Amino acid sequence: MSTAGSSSSALRDLYLQESGRIRQEFACTGNGEAVLVQRTALVEKIALQLWTDIVCPEQQGPRNFTLVALGGFGRRWLFPHSDIDLLFLHADRDSEHRLKDRIRVFSQGLWDLRLTLSPATRILQECDHFDPANVEFAVSLLDCRYLAGDTDLFTRLHDTVIPRLMTRESQSLLQRLADVTRNRHDKFGNTIFHLEPDVKDTPGGLRDCNLALWLNLLSSMDKPHDWPDPKSLLSASARKQFDPALDFLMSIRCFLHFRNGRDDNTLAWDAQEDAAQRAIGVYESKELSAAGWMKLYFAHARSVHRTATQLLQEIPAAWSPLSRHFQTLRARVSDTHFSVLDGLVFLREPSALRDTEMLLRLFHFVARHDVRLSTTTEHKVEQILPSLAATPPKGAELWLYLGETLTQPHAAEALRAMHSLRLLTLLLPELKPIDSLVVRDFYHRFTVDEHSFLAIETLHRLREPRSEWEKQYGEILKELEDPELLYLSLLLHDTGKGAVSENHVAGSVSIAERCLQRLDLESSERETVLFLISHHLEMSAALRRDIFDSATVAAFTEKVGTPERLKMLCLFTYADIKAVNPDALTPWKAENLWQLYIAATNQLNRNVDQRLHPDADVHNEKIAQMRILAPTAGRRVKTFLEGLPQRYLKTYAAQNVLRHLQMAELLCKQPVQLDLIRGRHWFELTLVTKDRPFLFGKVAGTLAAWGMNIVKATAFSNQAGTVVDTFYFTDRFRTLELNLSEWERFKRGVSEVLMGETDLDRMLRSRMQADEKRGQPKVKIEMSIQSDNLCSSNSTLVQVVAHDRPGLLYTIASCFSHHHCNIEIALIDTEGQMAIDVFYLTANRNKLAPEHLKQVEAALQEALHSRTETQSQKIVCTPPL
Amino acid sequence: MTKVEAVIQVSKLESVKAALHEIGIEGMTVLEARGHGRQKGHTEFYRGREYTVDLIPKIKIELVVADNVVEKVVQAISTSARSGKIGDGKIFLSRVDEVIRIRNDERGENAL
Repeated sequence: MSTAGSSSSALRDLYLQESGRIRQEFACTGNGEAVLVQRTALVEKIALQLWTDIVCPEQQGPRNFTLVALGGFGRRWLFPHSDIDLLFLHADRDSEHRLKDRIRVFSQGLWDLRLTLSPATRILQECDHFDPANVEFAVSLLDCRYLAGDTDLFTRLHDTVIPRLMTRESQSLLQRLADVTRNRHDKFGNTIFHLEPDVKDTPGGLRDCNLALWLNLLSSMDKPHDWPDPKSLLSASARKQFDPALDFLMSIRCFLHFRNGRDDNTLAWDAQEDAAQRAIGVYESKELSAAGWMKLYFAHARSVHRTATQLLQEIPAAWSPLSRHFQTLRARVSDTHFSVLDGLVFLREPSALRDTEMLLRLFHFVARHDVRLSTTTEHKVEQILPSLAATPPKGAELWLYLGETLTQPHAAEALRAMHSLRLLTLLLPELKPIDSLVVRDFYHRFTVDEHSFLAIETLHRLREPRSEWEKQYGEILKELEDPELLYLSLLLHDTGKGAVSENHVAGSVSIAERCLQRLDLESSERETVLFLISHHLEMSAALRRDIFDSATVAAFTEKVGTPERLKMLCLFTYADIKAVNPDALTPWKAENLWQLYIAATNQLNRNVDQRLHPDADVHNEKIAQMRILAPTAGRRVKTFLEGLPQRYLKTYAAQNVLRHLQMAELLCKQPVQLDLIRGRHWFELTLVTKDRPFLFGKVAGTLAAWGMNIVKATAFSNQAGTVVDTFYFTDRFRTLELNLSEWERFKRGVSEVLMGETDLDRMLRSRMQADEKRGQPKVKIEMSIQSDNLCSSNSTLVQVVAHDRPGLLYTIASCFSHHHCNIEIALIDTEGQMAIDVFYLTANRNKLAPEHLKQVEAALQEALHSRTETQSQKIVCTPPL
Repeated sequence: MTKVEAVIQVSKLESVKAALHEIGIEGMTVLEARGHGRQKGHTEFYRGREYTVDLIPKIKIELVVADNVVEKVVQAISTSARSGKIGDGKIFLSRVDEVIRIRNDERGENAL
């Protein structure tokens, strides 16, 4: 009954000797699969020796008791330090009681050899019972293998009990297995792209290999006695990528076990270096850097992850009633081109995918509806890739769909799907160098490509904020005029990391320039994207300085230039930090970033009236651009710009400034020059004329009278008294949108009001009456008037925050004019139903005297108050700054 | 041995690190912190709303050093972190009984 000392020592010698030999062989060949087979055989040999020594002299005895290998041992996948799963199976309690001591000694024998044993003892009847809390045991039975003992008992387990259990409990098992897997994937951020992955547990690791095999096995076990051939579990096409991936992962795990001397599966930096040097899992002779070897790892992990997630999705039984209901809802998003079944997208007309537009639409659909491609759809996409590679879409066609896709709520998932199919790098080859790229530092957790996708995902998640911070940043996101440019910048911002360059930012800018050229973006759009990429570390750098120091804030805002860019850069920084690792954006950083953002916003609004002096501003980039665009207009440009605020040049592109100059030069023929264009989001009316009292208010009033909703406006004037006002408005009644002929009448209307040929008050009265019938606003905005007589050397700043309504700007501007204030600069903005209007006022070319300012404030409060009271709104006036 | 805790301006971290490095001190723990002494808060208005920052962002550095270099460390920190304005921070010193290096159980100054 006991192991003789000599026998024990012989087994130890055998184990150590054979283990050493296996290790040496691996060092020479790097063949992981061979290690598993040999180690399984070694452990099996030892177990059988102990069996005959301790349990029963005959390998097939005693009756009613069987030794079964489970899990990894069962499927002959014993890694150098993995647990040995054994099942002591009894026919009944008597056997269990009778053999208890011998099993203890047997187990002790294995432990003495320092083998990590995971034993389970069951009677046959218990194996027929599914315990949802121990899904691992039920799943491990799928790999059961006879070792020793009563063969009849094992046959009953293998041929009857397990198939019956799996058939009966398949739904529960699949459900639990899916839950456990999803939890594990969640733990790793649902991505394979970790810089130091765990080759067993990270998505795309060995556990996912097992999962793929188990899911197939479970879904094939329809009838008792029906054990499918393990080799038939995956289709030949799936095996083509899955098998090499499995081989590779096996080799790495063996390598890590031997290297670490324990069951540690973390592929850490130094292990990556070592593995690359020793070409673990690589059968080609070429030398690989650690980063190159990791790309190979990610390619294999991607195949495994794809197979595993497809199987998880395609087994409907794995869904709970709740998720089933959710899938039913998702099915409703099907359209004429794509149908959605169980959350998977199928093509209604597979051949239509040959049309590039349909291909791009497919991923736009994924980005919009949070659905995944079905396996068949993925295969269809893969099939058309070779022909697409010959003539890839580019220019406006590609940007139209890509831009739209990027703004959809599930854009990151669509990008990942495109990337996984190698479509993304085909459309945007600039991303190729960062495909699965590992850049080592102490902070980043993910590869460069995944970091970029995650940054995009981070911003989209702001739509459903889960904290006060997310809510605040989410508000800024809603205000963006061209969010697609921000997302594109995030996608390209680290492409320079894939180039051999000291400065990845400069590298990214240079790569992005080529990409933007190919996508045929407008010049202003290109400027924005390049600005964001080139300055993407600027805000993080400013956070390391004193953000409450006005000089720091001023220096930072000088680089940013406009509020729109500031918003984008702030969100960029937020997303970029948060995508580094889940803990990177600490509350400390989030608050500091927010403080810097609002300080910079205020700085931009309060210091905009510094005047331009083209002779002194010789280094101004915009002026240099104008020199190139209009080399002969140098003196005229200088005269026009003289005395305009610095903000003017930051607001308009060089081409726009030249157009304003052209309009100013026509004033001698026609005293009111108007340009009306339709932008992507709104109409833009630019007015160039000589300054006069009530000018700004009259234009605002005319627009209100036409039913236009002013979203933004800017007003600037130069030293010669020429004003450039631009009003950005939405056409509430689609007057201009539906009637091209109305454009001229509209412009004539504005001109006539300015020339005093039309009665504006009468026009406004009828519009206001019509609007008041529309009922009360649903959201209450607290009104506030703040003034600052210190922030500018020439003007008095007045900021009005109020509930936006038709005619608001007219009311405010008229109030100023009635009190003899000249609007030097106006910065009008609307966020949702809140109007935020900043005015720089002068009276007789000077700041407003304190007494005068008080009168203006009081009059403004009264004007807004009386107007608001009629709408029964709550008013809270804050004291002046 | 002495534990040196210094609360400094965020903008001074790099110069403090460089100054410590220069006198041979390389190991330190850096923490994001908030607080204020006589330097009071800061108020900004945004979208008509008032944002008051009572606790100003600071950096806290912690290091344990041998007694014979404490003065040099204090000098290095105070010189490199000083701007002469309110809010430059403070340095706290306290006694440390024992230091143990987890990796190999080394103790005392050898473990520093």
